[in-house]
Amino acid sequence: MAADSEPESEVFEITDFTTASEWERFISKVEEVLNDWKLIGISSGKPLEKGVYTTGAWEEKSDEISFADFKFSITHHYLVQEPSDKDGKEELVEDALPLPVQDLLCMNNDFPPRAHCLVRWYGLREFVVIAPAANNDAVLSESKCNLLLSSISIALGNTGCQVPLFVQIHHKWRRMYVGECQGPGVRTDFEMVHLRKVPNQYTHLSGLLDIFKSKIGCPLTPLPPVSMAIRLTYVLQDWQQYFWPQQPPDIDALVGGEVGGLEFGKLPFGACEDPISELHLATTWPHLTEGIIVDNDVYSDLDPLQAPQWSVRVRKADNPQCLLGDFLTEFFKLCRRKESTDEILGRSAFEEEGKEVADITHALSKLTEPAPVPIHKLSVTNMVHSAKKKIRKRRGVDESPLNNEVLNTILLFLFPDAADKLADGFESRTSTSAGNNPPPENEDYNLFSQFKSAPSDSLTYKLALCLCMINFYHGGVKGVAHLWQEFVLEMRYRWENNYLIPGLANGPPDLRCCLLHQKLQMLNCCIERKKARDEGKRGSMSDCSPGGTSGDTGKGADHSGENPDKDKEVGKSWESWSDSEEEFFECLSDTEDLKGNGQENGKKGGAKEGNKEPVNLKPEGRLHPHGKLTLLHPGEPLYIPITQEPAPMTEDLLEEQSEVLAKLGTSAEGAHLRARMQSACLLSDMESFKAANPGCCLEDFVRWYSPRDYIEEEVVDEKGNVVIKGELSARMKIPSNMWVEAWETAKPVPARRQKRLFDDTREAEKVLHYLAVQKPADLARHLLPCIIHAAVLKVKEEEALEDISSVKKIIKQIISHSSKVLRFPNPEDKKLEEIIAQIMSVEAIIARARSLKAKFGVEKCENEEEKEDLQRFVNCLLEQPEVSVIGAGRGPAGSIIHKLFVNAQRVSAVPPLDEELRRSGSSEERRLNMGAVSDFPPPTGREVILRTTVPRPAPYSKPLPQRMYSVLTKEDFRLAGAFSADTTFF
Amino acid sequence: MDEDVLTTLKILIIGESGVGKSSLLLRFTDDTFDPELAATIGVDFKVKTISVDGNKAKLAIWDTAGQERFRTLTPSYYRGAQGVILVYDVTRRDTFVKLDNWLNELETYCTRNDIVKMLVGNKIDKENREVDRNEGLKFARKHSMLFIEASAKTCDGVQCAFEELVEKIIQTPGLWESESQNRGVKLSNKEEGYGGGGACGGYCSML
Repeated sequence: MAADSEPESEVFEITDFTTASEWERFISKVEEVLNDWKLIGISSGKPLEKGVYTTGAWEEKSDEISFADFKFSITHHYLVQEPSDKDGKEELVEDALPLPVQDLLCMNNDFPPRAHCLVRWYGLREFVVIAPAANNDAVLSESKCNLLLSSISIALGNTGCQVPLFVQIHHKWRRMYVGECQGPGVRTDFEMVHLRKVPNQYTHLSGLLDIFKSKIGCPLTPLPPVSMAIRLTYVLQDWQQYFWPQQPPDIDALVGGEVGGLEFGKLPFGACEDPISELHLATTWPHLTEGIIVDNDVYSDLDPLQAPQWSVRVRKADNPQCLLGDFLTEFFKLCRRKESTDEILGRSAFEEEGKEVADITHALSKLTEPAPVPIHKLSVTNMVHSAKKKIRKRRGVDESPLNNEVLNTILLFLFPDAADKLADGFESRTSTSAGNNPPPENEDYNLFSQFKSAPSDSLTYKLALCLCMINFYHGGVKGVAHLWQEFVLEMRYRWENNYLIPGLANGPPDLRCCLLHQKLQMLNCCIERKKARDEGKRGSMSDCSPGGTSGDTGKGADHSGENPDKDKEVGKSWESWSDSEEEFFECLSDTEDLKGNGQENGKKGGAKEGNKEPVNLKPEGRLHPHGKLTLLHPGEPLYIPITQEPAPMTEDLLEEQSEVLAKLGTSAEGAHLRARMQSACLLSDMESFKAANPGCCLEDFVRWYSPRDYIEEEVVDEKGNVVIKGELSARMKIPSNMWVEAWETAKPVPARRQKRLFDDTREAEKVLHYLAVQKPADLARHLLPCIIHAAVLKVKEEEALEDISSVKKIIKQIISHSSKVLRFPNPEDKKLEEIIAQIMSVEAIIARARSLKAKFGVEKCENEEEKEDLQRFVNCLLEQPEVSVIGAGRGPAGSIIHKLFVNAQRVSAVPPLDEELRRSGSSEERRLNMGAVSDFPPPTGREVILRTTVPRPAPYSKPLPQRMYSVLTKEDFRLAGAFSADTTFF
Repeated sequence: MDEDVLTTLKILIIGESGVGKSSLLLRFTDDTFDPELAATIGVDFKVKTISVDGNKAKLAIWDTAGQERFRTLTPSYYRGAQGVILVYDVTRRDTFVKLDNWLNELETYCTRNDIVKMLVGNKIDKENREVDRNEGLKFARKHSMLFIEASAKTCDGVQCAFEELVEKIIQTPGLWESESQNRGVKLSNKEEGYGGGGACGGYCSML
């Protein structure tokens, strides 16, 4: 095929791949990849700067190759370097050592805090690794290992690649690599030993030196000096007196009225466990020459206190259990529950089988008979109806997910006016219930409009927090369902008894808030209207019908007679009516209405008898005189009428209505119909206006309502006087336009007697029904923005105490992220989870900062300067993988760390004889010989790097870099050697 | 028709009564002028699909009544609007002076803070001008709005005003993309499909 496709090319030699073995194909594949990545040729680069392995960026490229059907991944790891200008010059030095071989001796990047293990072991800036692609695959047999090693050797030789090439052998977790690097006349072999049990001689420096020297096998005497870098790492796990201060809040305390740091309406914060699990102190001797110190079986000069370099890292607990995070996560889980409130609470919890039905019929019927009220119902209402309360308490408590005390605490918290009610009687609380103190105008407060939640002092917000806490501490979803049911009942109670709902801003629903908040505001609007209506009626009854027709009204009037304080009287009489209030749901009858009407007119000074005639010559329903305008014809002052308020709307109603309006289409008829649908308000205003200004005309109305549609001009009349002449604008004069039409239909009826534009009864029932059918999951979704809002505020508040700049940044991100996600209906779960995860990470960071502050005694430090240094040190620990301790063991931070270790040692003065101690038995003896408990525990990790330059393999070979790294920890021991040999004559 | 519509935008027209809001809209949608257009009651609604830079956008335009008394009713319709045309009458200074109130209203009732605003000085065909063009410009700059003077009667600037506004909205992706996301699965899928080479692709390359 290949020959066919290129018939013209001159073929001197046929390359025949037909007999190529799998092995050959594998090698050529490796070569191909090396070629693709342009790793062929002389490697170049600047000498490594100090610490560049930590500060620089590492990148990697991967590809997949296979040996027969066994898949390998081949990965190039490299430090990103700027191209150096010297490249050209360096290349001139023909037989220069390959860079990786030079790097073996570089001491600027020993013990990097975070790096690939091969970087740590061999100090390489660039290398390629071939490893089994699947995680559980492994190259185990020796022959296979050798085959691989041979493959890379051939590939390197064929391509002239100077980048070290490694193969990973054995199981992945053992991190065993063998490799090779080739250069002109030089080859470096990377070898490795990995053991579980350590031969005793390798636990100290002199033993390691012996093995290094024997490995080099240098025939020269005296041997060139070996340079050594040593790092001992000590781990502190036992923080002793620094017990983690934060205990999970005591839930039981809450019930007793004592709220042990955990109140409803507040979110908890902080880690339940120490978010800092370990402190690793690395004491480093960066550059020692052989012979300067002694470290052998029986004696050691390596005293950590004397080490010239100290660095510290902290190990953070993985996902420490944090309170706020737990609260959020659990609340979010609620969103996924499918059950309805009834399903959760179970029928058994209620005395009646037809509960579900009861709930709705209940909602639609007048709350006259107490019979179908479910047993568990325990709300603030109970405080009023104390007799009922007793009954309920006796019967229902055990079955309720929430116990009485918790429930009452919550209800009192949500409805603080209930307490006033108990103390002072009813009416006083209406004054406190408005909850419309001018809101503080600050950024935090206004967060609600970004998050579409609710103001932080609102009922909705408080409810969200209570539900969140109940979900966590008081019965989970059952508790939530229970509280919600109570809440809905309370809403109904308030509606039926004309008590405003506290903690909601007055006025129409605030469309910037969540829908649930809008619904509650809507309900409040209904209550307000109903109350005003009922009070107007009651007022008229107590004044005008002392011998009223029904016994109830009579009762009310009697109360008024007894009690001169009208406010109190109203409340009491109201209560006494609460059992049969049917009449309040009906429109005022004509006779009553007119009586009231007459009475009002009487107040205004006009003697007035009831009159059913539509043409009413006496003014009614005046708000106040306009001031400037007088009626055109009679010349009387123009009065602004009392008008009906337009219907308040929640966003879902609004959507519905705009859909209806939009559906009428854009035709002329559509527009006309649309105008007609909306003219109810105009008509109502016209009727009120007519009632307030007998004898008025459309011009009068327009002058008040749409002044620009009454055009006035100065005209000079026959006598030469300047007269102002006015007329309706052209558009108002269009025959039978809707304004004229409406004006003609309008009868003089004051607002009070008009058909209601807003049917509060219907709207209230709609809201109550809506509330009743919300499942706990719906509720959680409604309120999640409030919870996130609260969590952000909490995190902000906590951060303010610690002042961590990185956290400030994250919080800003959270806010902007959340406001994007939450502003739209039905945000995706994934995005919500992201937000919660972000909040949790912030909480963890703050908790860590606190933990570290406590451990390093930042607050206790008296010297201001030192305190600042310590604070900086602690901040660095949070943000950097490893922080060097200024002044090592003698600096302020160093001495604190020293003390921490000393204290830990003292407590464990009789150290348990664990594996480690057995292993390093010799050092134990050594310590005993010294006669005292050492300040530091035995090192958890001992790292040693030995380096030298010697000729290999023969005395007359080129002197080449040799390096051996050893690490000894509790679990394993590893030797990683890189031994270079001159290949020119071998 | 709806197939190739990139997005549906909600546009509001607000301003004092009698400044010519409905006339501007009528000129834009039907290209007619009616000197005897009845005063709007509540809100009115018109739809027009326009093409801006090759992208079709369907405009749902809500025209509002300017009378003080209707202001308790109309702001509810501000919700979710992406663009607003704020109109004054260049021959009546009082309509210009009241602009601040309208902006306040917008701020209070608008659900988004990135809504695109255009200021239109209407009735430039009339001779008794009271508000100078520069004053309008200055006001628009102060409140970072688009500005144009127009006449619904002579057709000056009307088309341009709507087009500019739509273009500006389209250039603010957060404004309208999110809108389509919330229209349900079907539509968003469709739009994703377009991402490859359809209308959306063309748009993206423009950015």
